[in-house]
Amino acid sequence: MKITINGSEKEISAPGAATQMLLWVLRDDLGMIGTKFGCGVGICGSCTVHVDGVATRACITPLAAVEGKQIRTVEGLSDKLNDGTIKLHPVQEAWLQEQVPQCSWCQSGQMMTAAAFLAQNPKPSVDQVVDAMSNNYCRCGCYTRIKRAVTRAAEIAQEQNPERAA
Amino acid sequence: MSQNNAPSTPMTPITPPTKSARKKWRITRRGFLIGAGVVGSGVALGYVFGRPALHLTMAEMLDGGGGPPSSISTEPMAWIEVAPDNRATFHIPKIEMGQGVHTALAQILAEELEIDWANINVVHANTIRGPIDGSGTTGSTTVSSMYPVLREVAANMREMLRAEAATQLGKPVADLIATNGTITTKDKAASRTYGEIIVAKRGKWDVPKDKPVLKPVSEFKLIGKSLQRVDLPDKIVGEAIYGYDVRVPNMLYGAFAHPPTIGATLKGATAGTVGSMPGVVKIVIEKDFVGVAAESRQAARNAIDALQVEWNEVKPLQQADIDAMIAVREGQGTIIQNEGDAQKVLAAQSLPLLQANYNTPFAAHAHLEPQAALADVQADKARIWVSTQMPSLVRGEMVTLLGMKEEQIEINPAYVGGGFGRKVGSDAAMPAARLSKAVGRPVHVGWVRQEEFQNGYLRPPTAHMLKAALSADGQISALEHQQSSGEVAAAFLPPVMMAVFGSDFGAWRGARIHYGMPNRRTVARVVKLPVKTGWWRGLGLLANIFAIESFIDELAASVKMDPLAFRLKNLGATEEGERFRNVLNTVADKAGWGSPMPDGHARGIACCTDGKTIVAQVAEVSVTNKKIQVHKVHCVIEPGLVINPDGVKAQSEGAITMGLSSTLFEEARIEDGKVNARNFDAYPLITMRDTPEIEVTVISRGETPLGVGEPPIGPVAAAVANAVFALTGQRLRSLPLKLA
Repeated sequence: MKITINGSEKEISAPGAATQMLLWVLRDDLGMIGTKFGCGVGICGSCTVHVDGVATRACITPLAAVEGKQIRTVEGLSDKLNDGTIKLHPVQEAWLQEQVPQCSWCQSGQMMTAAAFLAQNPKPSVDQVVDAMSNNYCRCGCYTRIKRAVTRAAEIAQEQNPERAA
Repeated sequence: MSQNNAPSTPMTPITPPTKSARKKWRITRRGFLIGAGVVGSGVALGYVFGRPALHLTMAEMLDGGGGPPSSISTEPMAWIEVAPDNRATFHIPKIEMGQGVHTALAQILAEELEIDWANINVVHANTIRGPIDGSGTTGSTTVSSMYPVLREVAANMREMLRAEAATQLGKPVADLIATNGTITTKDKAASRTYGEIIVAKRGKWDVPKDKPVLKPVSEFKLIGKSLQRVDLPDKIVGEAIYGYDVRVPNMLYGAFAHPPTIGATLKGATAGTVGSMPGVVKIVIEKDFVGVAAESRQAARNAIDALQVEWNEVKPLQQADIDAMIAVREGQGTIIQNEGDAQKVLAAQSLPLLQANYNTPFAAHAHLEPQAALADVQADKARIWVSTQMPSLVRGEMVTLLGMKEEQIEINPAYVGGGFGRKVGSDAAMPAARLSKAVGRPVHVGWVRQEEFQNGYLRPPTAHMLKAALSADGQISALEHQQSSGEVAAAFLPPVMMAVFGSDFGAWRGARIHYGMPNRRTVARVVKLPVKTGWWRGLGLLANIFAIESFIDELAASVKMDPLAFRLKNLGATEEGERFRNVLNTVADKAGWGSPMPDGHARGIACCTDGKTIVAQVAEVSVTNKKIQVHKVHCVIEPGLVINPDGVKAQSEGAITMGLSSTLFEEARIEDGKVNARNFDAYPLITMRDTPEIEVTVISRGETPLGVGEPPIGPVAAAVANAVFALTGQRLRSLPLKLA
C-alpha cells in the first residue's frame, strides 16, 4: 500500500502492513526515528504526527487508516531550501529560542502537537495553549518552557507571515 | 592531514549507524589524538573503626550526596580531538539525558582550551576509544566531579599546543598567547591555528609533567554564561539517536519473557510450533532466560506470547504486606547522625513531646523512552548501543555474559530519553546480547510500557517518625528523625560494601537534620522488600525532606511562629547555616513572603541541602473541591560556582515539576503480586495544566561547582504541604497529598 510521508510517496509491501501501527512502520520499516514511542496506548503523545494536518497518535493508528492521506513527521517539519540549507518551522525556532527540550524524547510529539494547534489557531491565548498541550507528557518537566515556546512560535509565525495571522 | 598523528586507539571508533552526514561535523575525522592523564579519586576504606563509628563516619562522608567513592579511569585517553580545520571534538564519558551536561562540560573544556565555542562538537565517548567513567552519570555529581579534571585536561592540551607552536615558529613559549583556537605571538606578527600546528607536528606529543596554570574565575569567558545547549539542534529536527533508535544492517528485533508476578522464577518453557510463526528467526530457552529474535518487533512479541512458559510463583504480595514491612520500628536501624544526646533531652522534655509520622509511596520513573539496546555479538568482539547512565556497568555485565575482555567490548552510549535513575545499567542490553549471541546477528531489544511498570524497579516507599523538644520561644533543643525505607543503593551494591556503609546512603539521602540544634539524631533503617526498588531522581531526598520540612512547619505552628522566622532561628551558626539564611531570605523576598494574596490562596516554604547545594522554595496554592492547585513555585538555588545559569534553571524547573507530580498524583501500589499500573491510565503524570508558574533564582558562589539535577526536587512536596496547612489547617503527612 502507498502512503505519503512529508510529501514523498512510500510503498509499504511488508506482509500484514495494513494492520501495523503507523509508528512502527515509520520507525522500523522506514527508519524515520524522529517519531518516538512512549506508551503504545495513545496517552503520552510522544508519537504525535500530522495526518492531513491533524495531530494524531501514530502508536494507535493502523497503516490502513492513513492510506492516501498526507502524513507529516518531525523530519518534515522544517523546509529544505533550494540552496541546501534548512529553514526551521516557527515551532522549532521557538523551541530553540526558549531552550525547551531536556532529554527531548517527548519533544517531537510536543512540537507536532503545537504545530497542528497553531495552524488552526495562529493567535492563541495562554489558556488555549494549556488546553492544547495538556495531553502530552514531558517527564523532564519542560512544561513551563513549552508553554512559553508555543506563544513564541505564534509570534515568530506572525513575523514571518503577517497576512496569514491577521 | 599528517600521518604522524595516527589514531592511537586499538579499535576504530564508529559513527552512529543511522546518522547521515548531513551536518559536516558529523563526519569522523582522524586528526589529533592526545592522551591526558586523569586524576583518580580512590578513597581508602581500610581505616580501623568500631562498626557503629565507621558507619557514622561513612554516613558523614557520603552526606556530600555523591554516593560511594568511585574513580574515573586514570589510563591515558583522548578527551579532545582537534581536526586540521581547527574544529574540536570533545569525547565525553558522561551521559546526556537532558541535564545539559554535554554543554556544561564543553564550556569547562573550551574555557581552558581557548577555542571558539562555535568550533566545538560534543559526542559520547565509547568504551573502546574512551575515556571511561567508572561512576556513571548519577547523583548530581557530573559537573562537580569533572570540573577539576576537565580544566586540567584542557589546559594541558593548550600548553602542549603552545610548546609545539614555539618550536614551529622559533619563538619562546612565554611569547605566545593561546586564544580562539590560535597561538599568536605577543606582537601579533605570527600565528598558527591549532589545526595548523597539529598538521605540521612531527614526532609524538608529550603531556606536561607540571600541573598547568588554570585561569582565575575572574577571567572566565564561557563558564558562567547561559550558552545554548549543544544537543538541541539535532533534537529539534528529530535526528538525535537514542538507544531505541539505533539501527544497523541485518538487524533483528528481540523480546523476552518476564515474570508474570513479583517473585516468580522461571520453571521452564517449550517452543512448540512457535519456531514456524512468521518472522521468527531464533528461539532461545535457557535456565534463566526465554527470548525470541525475529524480523519485526511484532513478530518477536507474538512469538513470546505464544510460547508455553512456566513459572514458579509465590504467594501473591499485597500492599498491606509492604506497609507493615516499611513501618518505622523504634530502636532499629543505623545511626547516621548523632550530636549531643537527643534521646536524653527528648525523654526529659517537660512540655508535651512533639511527634509526627510521615509516609511516601512507591513511585515509577516513567522515563518516556523505555529500556533499549542493540547488541551485535560476534566471535571475538561485541558492540552495544544503549540508553544507559552507566556504560561501564553494562560493559562489566557483558564481560561476565560473553566471557570476553573489556577491550573486546565496545559500549556506544546513545542519548538517553529520560534516566532518573532507571537507566543505571540497562535492562535491555543483556537480553539483546544473549539473543544476538545465539542468532549471530545484531538484535535490538526495546521494552514496552507495560514491562516498565511491571518489571522494572520502583522508588521505594518510606516511613518517618520525627520527635522534637522545643522551648516556648521556638528554639528546638533536640530533634530525632527515624526513617525506614526500601533499598535504594543497597539493591545494586555488593553486600561487602553495605557492610562497610552500614546503611543505605541512597535511602537516607536528605534524612540527616539540616537545622543546628545541639541535640540531633538520625536513624536509618533499610528494608529488603520483595519488590525491586532502587535509584530514583534524588534517591531518598524527596521523601526525607518532605518529612523533615513538614515537621519543622508543624513545630513552627505549635509555637505560633512564622515558618520562615522559625527556620531562620533554628538554622545553625555555621557557614552552611549562613548560606541557608541567604537562600531562604532571597526566596522569601522573591515570593513576597508575608504579602497579601488572592482570597483562598496560601504560601508554604521549605528548604534543603543536597550534595552541599542549598535550595529553598515557596509554593502558593489554592484548594477547590478538595483539589490542590499549585499556582506558583519560587525557587532559589545556590549550587556553588554556576557553569550555565539557564541550565541550572532548566534543571530546577524540571525537578520541581517532577516533584510536584509525586506530590499531587503519583502512587504505585502492589495488588495480587503485581504493580497496579500497566500503563499511564493507572499512573497518570502531571501535565501542563497542573504545572504552576516556576520562577528560579540562581545564586553563583565561590569557586567550586556543586550538584544541580536533584537538589531542587527536595523541598517541593513539603512546600506544597505546608501551604495546604496554612490554607486549610489540615496537615497532610502522606504523599500524594489528599485532602480529607
